Amino acid sequence: MDKIYEIVAAPRTGRTLVLLVVLFPFLAALFVSLFGKRGRRVALLLALVHLGLAVSVAAIASMHLGTRDELSAGRGTDHAKFEPAMVPGARVGDDGRTAWTLMSLTATPPSAGRAGPFVQFFVGVDGLNLWLVALTSFMVVPAILVSWESVTERRGAFYAWLFVLQGAAVGAFLSFDVILFYVFFELTLVPAFFLIGRWGPGSARRDAARKFFLYTLAGSLLTLVGVVGVVVTNPDPTTGQITFSLPDLMANVQHWLNAAQAEAAAGKPEKLAALHQTQLWLFVALMAGFMVKTPIFPFHTWLPSAYGEAPIGVTVLLSAVLAKLGTFGILRFVLTLTPDAAVAYGLPVVGTLAAFGIVYAALCAYAQKDMKQMAAYSSVSHLGFVVLAVFAFNTEGVAGSVLHMVNHGLSTGAVFALLAFLADRYRTTSMTQYGGLMGRFPNFAVLAFVLCLASVGLPGLNNFVSEMLMLGGLFRADAPKNHHYALAGIAAFSIFLSSWYIMTMLQRVFFSPPKEPPADAPGAAPPGDVNSRELIAFGSLAALCLVLGVYPQPVLDTMRADVRIVTRIGDDARVRVYGEPKPTKVLVAAEPNNGKQDR
Amino acid sequence: MNPLSDPQLQHTFTGVFRLVAPEIALVGTACVVFLFGSAFNRRWIWFTVSLLGVIAAMVLAGTVRTPMPEVLTAAPIVPDAAANFLRWVALISAAVLLFLTWPEATRGHAAEYYGSLLVAVAGVSLTGRANDLVSLFLALELISIPTYILLYLPSRSRPSQEAAAKYFLLSVLSSAVLLFGFSYLYGLTGSTNLSVITDALTKANAEALSPMALVGIVLVVAGIGFKITAVPFHFYAPDVYEGGPAGVVAMLAVLPKVAGFAALARLLGLVGADARHLPFDTATQLPLLLWILAILTMTVGNVLALLQDNVRRMLAYSGVAHGGYMLMGVVVACSLPEAAGTVIKLEGAPKVIGPTVGGIDALLVYLVAYALMTFGAFAVILYLSTPAREVGAIDDLAGLGKTHPISAGAMTVFLLSLIGLPLTAGFAGKLLLFIGTFTAPADTAAMRNLYRLLAVVAAVNSAVGAYYYLRVVGVMYLRTALTPIVGSRAVPTLMASVALAGATVFFGIYPQPLLTAARRAAPVPELPVPAVADAK
Repeated sequence: MDKIYEIVAAPRTGRTLVLLVVLFPFLAALFVSLFGKRGRRVALLLALVHLGLAVSVAAIASMHLGTRDELSAGRGTDHAKFEPAMVPGARVGDDGRTAWTLMSLTATPPSAGRAGPFVQFFVGVDGLNLWLVALTSFMVVPAILVSWESVTERRGAFYAWLFVLQGAAVGAFLSFDVILFYVFFELTLVPAFFLIGRWGPGSARRDAARKFFLYTLAGSLLTLVGVVGVVVTNPDPTTGQITFSLPDLMANVQHWLNAAQAEAAAGKPEKLAALHQTQLWLFVALMAGFMVKTPIFPFHTWLPSAYGEAPIGVTVLLSAVLAKLGTFGILRFVLTLTPDAAVAYGLPVVGTLAAFGIVYAALCAYAQKDMKQMAAYSSVSHLGFVVLAVFAFNTEGVAGSVLHMVNHGLSTGAVFALLAFLADRYRTTSMTQYGGLMGRFPNFAVLAFVLCLASVGLPGLNNFVSEMLMLGGLFRADAPKNHHYALAGIAAFSIFLSSWYIMTMLQRVFFSPPKEPPADAPGAAPPGDVNSRELIAFGSLAALCLVLGVYPQPVLDTMRADVRIVTRIGDDARVRVYGEPKPTKVLVAAEPNNGKQDR
Repeated sequence: MNPLSDPQLQHTFTGVFRLVAPEIALVGTACVVFLFGSAFNRRWIWFTVSLLGVIAAMVLAGTVRTPMPEVLTAAPIVPDAAANFLRWVALISAAVLLFLTWPEATRGHAAEYYGSLLVAVAGVSLTGRANDLVSLFLALELISIPTYILLYLPSRSRPSQEAAAKYFLLSVLSSAVLLFGFSYLYGLTGSTNLSVITDALTKANAEALSPMALVGIVLVVAGIGFKITAVPFHFYAPDVYEGGPAGVVAMLAVLPKVAGFAALARLLGLVGADARHLPFDTATQLPLLLWILAILTMTVGNVLALLQDNVRRMLAYSGVAHGGYMLMGVVVACSLPEAAGTVIKLEGAPKVIGPTVGGIDALLVYLVAYALMTFGAFAVILYLSTPAREVGAIDDLAGLGKTHPISAGAMTVFLLSLIGLPLTAGFAGKLLLFIGTFTAPADTAAMRNLYRLLAVVAAVNSAVGAYYYLRVVGVMYLRTALTPIVGSRAVPTLMASVALAGATVFFGIYPQPLLTAARRAAPVPELPVPAVADAK
């Protein structure tokens, strides 16, 4: 395997590909904006090129990442830290760090291999972001396909903004510099604002766009304060310099926490208490942006209007990709930068809100007349589940949540894409207008069934795997109190709730007495079943759902080492917060000698 | 011996002219423009002459060598790094303003317009290098007096006359307050030289708190507060911005603020002298005073901007809010004497790693970013205004995305930069200020966590600010106009706005050149190695 990796991917190739995956969407945006009417064909072509790039990155990276030893992951150093691969701009012999500095806060150049106060263009691939990047690349294709007919105005500009949105999301996933992440994270707002505000079909689109922008910005500005706070309060212990590089920063955070814990063990607990106090405030600030972006109840109120008012292709991207930025941010930054607060307050506080949101949003989804709104609320409900699993902070929880981010992206994106089928034909997605579509559009019905059942979590389809993993993580969450059982129970109940509203919707729309809204123009030919364009869009989504449902192991294999890095931090944090080490077992990749080496 | 026969002192006094050669070139050009302007009042002649004057000043600024005066305690002018940075800011602003104000410098008074502009710019540049209360005051007046003329020049309508009168009266009042404060500083130290004043007050302050010095500095801050539109000295801004000619307002929004912050930093001893030793009490009073001023300014500015329907009034209040953000930099700089730093030992010798951001460097970066986006926003307004139809209400901009895509695009860049969104210069400035407030010591007895609270308040304020900026973006792109704007077709103004938008994005993506320059101008003070570390 190693040999193949060396032959296929000379380091240079991999780095160039990663760089291209980030930059290509922006170039594509410039290019496609030159085209007017014919923009959609060009856009599709460019999206497929990007998909090709992402797939080759995934292929090369998974060969490499899959071979990493989970148990040695992050153990080369004193502290667990992420190990990005294929970093563009890396120095010779130092693959995990880039030399491309955007902003330096020191006059002296860094000594070799040392971190310093630099904001860098630090992007790279690891097991946590690889599949999300692939998802982002892939979902643009159905997003373009379902916008094929419905977007008629200024097509070039529409697809250009779509590519900017994609580029920003890819950049955010790949960033290993905290400021760079924030830059990409906020950059998503601008294209989303214009896409919703200019191309939304409804009359409330401007308000929805503004609400989306302002809500997210308000939260993420506090996140910026939190990020800066973490950076400044955790300088490097040997050089005293602050650092913006996430791997170094998380090592610094652990160093100071461990040092304080050592003092506490020696009978001076003040420092640890003070650090925990600081962690709490930083945790609140960091979470502010991610709670809005995910969204977690009660910060979800922007979502139904934004999803409802956005053109449906954009809703596909918003729900499939952008919502993941919130949960991914929690996983990547909150867990690693404020681990103790995440252990102490993650499940009890944020988890409680998320659990409440799961049930609340599921009931809201059931009550919706409009299918788009129903899917929007169902997305809130599902993402609450992901947040719970992330804060379980153990192997199953983290692995399951990463996998579920991908799966949920596929299935929720697919549900919105399905609605485009109806919206294109009848200009409405109101549930009451439809009935008995099973007989009217048999092919569509089959695809809709597969995708809706995937969203529900039917065994054999993708969501089942990740939901079971997440539930396992929640039941096993190592907290001295037992409230995580209650949270796990609510999460399990939410699976039932989601099947309840999805099945009700399917029953009403596909099986009740035939009914369809009046056609646009009287005398026009009755709308036909799935055409080849839609078949490709829905079929590819359904196929992926099936593949990931049957054989998710390759995805889990690549992320194994990185999940271990996160959980190592979690284990240490639990010791600091609760004071007693609890034995944990690695379930995802059960290898015979795990129990001995693992804490 | 007669002190005046001291050769060093003589060199110091005679060398002054070398130090202000570019300013002399600017004022000289202005004199030529004023003098011959009465004979030939053609716009293109005086535009060219003024531009040549600015270029000449730039050449002089780049070539004339300026050694430090030998007797700093007698020198009225210091050519230090901060002064040079501000000079370049002023000169580049002058070049931008010449292009930007093209449609306003109309035939009747082009010469007066350009002449006043050059004098005001010379004033900004001189403020940056004044080392004496007298030269500082003169430099500040050199900005104010041409501004009165500029505001009165095209004043044909009532609002613009009101604007001019209001600005004149309040400006004179603030000058008087400033002078009154200066008199305290002189009375306490017996000198008008800033180096002497700073040293004397620092020594006095080390022994006991001086209430008189505090009275003096409070009056000075009040006087300068007018220039930087700090609340509660901001009342003139909205009326003047609304009534004044857009080009003059662009100048008024930026130049006095640059000069005001330069003067404030000099008077508080934050640049030039050893920043570890401040002439005023830094433990509580001074940072607290500026802290309150910063929070009041940004909050009041943002909240009042929310209520505006006129784009100029909105920009006026937004300028107030940005003054508040910039004050954060001064607050941080004031806190530095309390900074502890981390002691590390690398290869034997202990070393102290001080704060990463000094405050004044962040302030300078933010000032440049603010200048870019404010000039830009007014350039777009000026470009779209015609004498028949001034752009005033926000709704006038409706549908701009379709009718004037270039202007709308540039305006969007400026507004996003004012919000502080990434990839714009405004973000770089805000990020530095945030880092600065977090590097300020959090464990002092008096201020405790107040510095960090300042960052949180600023973040919340930025989110509030996003509301009204985004409203303008929404109007431009998401609405259609009932009566579309024609626009003035002034190519130089359009060129200026496009160039400013380009610079805003460039410094957003790659702020390093700007940051390096700012940090050379205001280096982060190095902390001394504490005695305890040596003992270890």
